[in-house]
Amino acid sequence: MDLVTVKGLSKRYGGIVALSEATFSARAGEVHALLGENGAGKSTFIQILSGAVRHDGGSILVDGQDYRPANPDAAQARGIAAVFQELSLIPDLSVEQNIWFRHEPRTLLRTVNRAEMRRKTLALLDKYNFPALRPDQELRRLTLAERQIVEIAKGLAKDPRILILDEATSALPAREAEWLLKLTRQLAAEGRLVIFISHRMAEVRAIADRLTIFRNGSTIAVHEANAVSDNEIVTQMIGRHLDRLYPERVATATDRIALSVKNFSSGSRLSGVDFALREGEVLGVGGLQGHGQRELFQALFGASKASGTIELWGKPVSIGNPRQALTGKDGIALVPEDRRGQGLLLTKSVRENLTLSVIKRFTENGLLSRQKEAALVKEMVDFLRIKAGTPEQLAGTLSGGNQQKVIFGKMLLTQARVLLLYDPTRGVDVGTKGEIFQLMRDLAARGYAILFHSSDMPELVHVADRVLVMRNGGVAATLEGDRISEAGILRAAMLESEAA
Amino acid sequence: MAIAEQPVEMAQRPAEMKSAKPGIDWRGRALDRAPFLVACLMLALIVAIYGSLQSGVFSLDELNLDTAAALTLMLAATGQTIVLVRGGIDLSIGGMISLGTVIAATRFTDDPSTVALWALAILALGFLIGALNGLLISLLKLQPFLVTLATWSILNGVAMIILPTDGGSVPGWWVSFGYAQLFGLTSPVWMLLALLLFWWWFRATRVGITIQATGSNEKSAFLSGVSITGVNVITYGLSGLFAAGAALFLTTQTGAGSPTIGKDYILPSVAAAVIGGVSLFGGRGHLAGTLIGAFVLTLIGNLVFVLHVSSYWQPVASGVILLLSVLASSVAEKAARGRVQ
Repeated sequence: MDLVTVKGLSKRYGGIVALSEATFSARAGEVHALLGENGAGKSTFIQILSGAVRHDGGSILVDGQDYRPANPDAAQARGIAAVFQELSLIPDLSVEQNIWFRHEPRTLLRTVNRAEMRRKTLALLDKYNFPALRPDQELRRLTLAERQIVEIAKGLAKDPRILILDEATSALPAREAEWLLKLTRQLAAEGRLVIFISHRMAEVRAIADRLTIFRNGSTIAVHEANAVSDNEIVTQMIGRHLDRLYPERVATATDRIALSVKNFSSGSRLSGVDFALREGEVLGVGGLQGHGQRELFQALFGASKASGTIELWGKPVSIGNPRQALTGKDGIALVPEDRRGQGLLLTKSVRENLTLSVIKRFTENGLLSRQKEAALVKEMVDFLRIKAGTPEQLAGTLSGGNQQKVIFGKMLLTQARVLLLYDPTRGVDVGTKGEIFQLMRDLAARGYAILFHSSDMPELVHVADRVLVMRNGGVAATLEGDRISEAGILRAAMLESEAA
Repeated sequence: MAIAEQPVEMAQRPAEMKSAKPGIDWRGRALDRAPFLVACLMLALIVAIYGSLQSGVFSLDELNLDTAAALTLMLAATGQTIVLVRGGIDLSIGGMISLGTVIAATRFTDDPSTVALWALAILALGFLIGALNGLLISLLKLQPFLVTLATWSILNGVAMIILPTDGGSVPGWWVSFGYAQLFGLTSPVWMLLALLLFWWWFRATRVGITIQATGSNEKSAFLSGVSITGVNVITYGLSGLFAAGAALFLTTQTGAGSPTIGKDYILPSVAAAVIGGVSLFGGRGHLAGTLIGAFVLTLIGNLVFVLHVSSYWQPVASGVILLLSVLASSVAEKAARGRVQ
């Protein structure tokens, strides 16, 4: 019998239909993948299942009994826990306090029993072979990947019968992602149902027993995982044939150097980086995670202190803060890693997000010209094909892919011509990924110079003109032409002898 | 069914991640506590200067006196600390303190049971008005600053209607509560210890942790199943309760009621917390820091007195100390962040 049966599930947000007549069913003991573009209704679906949002119509049966949780507590009481992509962790609590939040073991005085909590934490981390975490460390001291792992522990701490993993691998380095995939299989083998959401097809392939495809808020198809091809899945997800995920790589680089960096160092993570980025070029930055890629992007944008020389369009510049990076025409702009935290004001409209940092461009005699602003916003929304009801829609209500497009628009409006893209497709659906790659090539053809980091190696291989491979805070190799391959990048990243 | 065709492989533990170095992160802990340590240092400095100018500073009598002088602020600041840790602010405590003193000064009689009844009524009123603040903030989705500014004004007005000018009285035996002694320590010192004990207990309860968590990240707390309305009702309710307690204690010191006295505690209650390292952005802070902050602010008054300068120097000195504290926590914050990234 099915553990979960969903029929005719509907949900509206104002005028926007998030789910309409969606169906879903899954058994105990299986890994069930949920696929769909951003905005297809996956997020709404799991928010309803986990009790964060209530549905308008339709029915959910869990164990044959009606299920309509009023809040996340009610969902947990029925054995359903979610590991959110948008993490549910508390920065000022410790790792163990987060894992057991609201379910802490208590003493006779009704205070938290710390010894018992520590014991339970270690037992849990040990049972599932969690990557080493310090239970007493405050969450805000942890990296994004470590936080993701704490979130997973928090979900498992409730010993759920149904565990929802929402893009849980997207923030994890390769080894930890692999661990999670194995863990997922292990949980299913224990008789739990794991609902698994990922935009990485290879992962879905590796672990899912069955998959359900959502599109435009409805269920399109349910497949046994081994009875369907990647192409069929992608076609059903986007509702049209996606000819190619990666755009054709046309060499648009000129001889003009846009950004030249020499002996560039920052903190303990970045030492002596040299490279030159040309006009019209997409220069990839790869290597194993944590070898200075993040620090390089931060430092180039002036968000952290650095030493060395930077020449921008042939002129030496010093970039002490992001304002200096963005100043004037042809400056440097960054698409940051954490778009919710650093890039986007979720409670502001699409229009405000686009124009906040470029108010000067439509100010006349100290007064704002709303017409000029509206024209610029329309141009960007059209150019980037941002799917928003109106420019006044709040950025927080857009899908992940569309949020990313707004950040691109914000960056383009600054008139910067050197673009630093740090993992711009993280958590973005496959259709929008294709659009973003095409956009990158289009921008390169228009003379933008693009420095591009991705945690997904095939993206570097297929989109970049050249790839810098970083190791221990420096450039270990620069790959060109045929030498750009996943094997080539890995070899340069891991082997000491590989020469540039 | 295609489940688990391949044998299930146990997930192997990946290599250690970078934050997982064993041992205790002493430097991180020290940085976290930097604002509190700075507050302790300030208090020590002020006591040292005070002690060098005045004889008999290092005595039980002095401790009893200073604690009595500081305790009203301490009680008010305890409620304020809870609200600040929640990520809010409560200006209405000024109104509640005024209202509490005028109700006591007009209703207390020589009969102990009448006094007990009215004292309980004042405490209950404090909690209810605070809970109402929390409810308004949640249900109407309004800024705590604005809601509590409005209730402050309302409570102040009601206090004025009950007792237009300073006056009324409380029984002598009630006033004597304010300096009753046990083992050489007066009741204010015992109450101070009780406050610390309360905090030690409260911050380790689920309610206490939930309030802190909601102040740290409201959305995460909600996703973890926290009722934000419930948190607000309890947080502001407790703040109102402590403000009412402050009012009752204040009447033991003044022996009368005042419809305007409460405003003197609003900003100092916030200042005491900030000096003690409580974050205005929520999620972080301890009552011990707030109480040290309250001592600092009170002893500045003593210092100004023994220095024989104009008493107007007191707010000047308080402001400078507040700035120094904010500076210290900001420096520590930056240092802590620099270590993470």
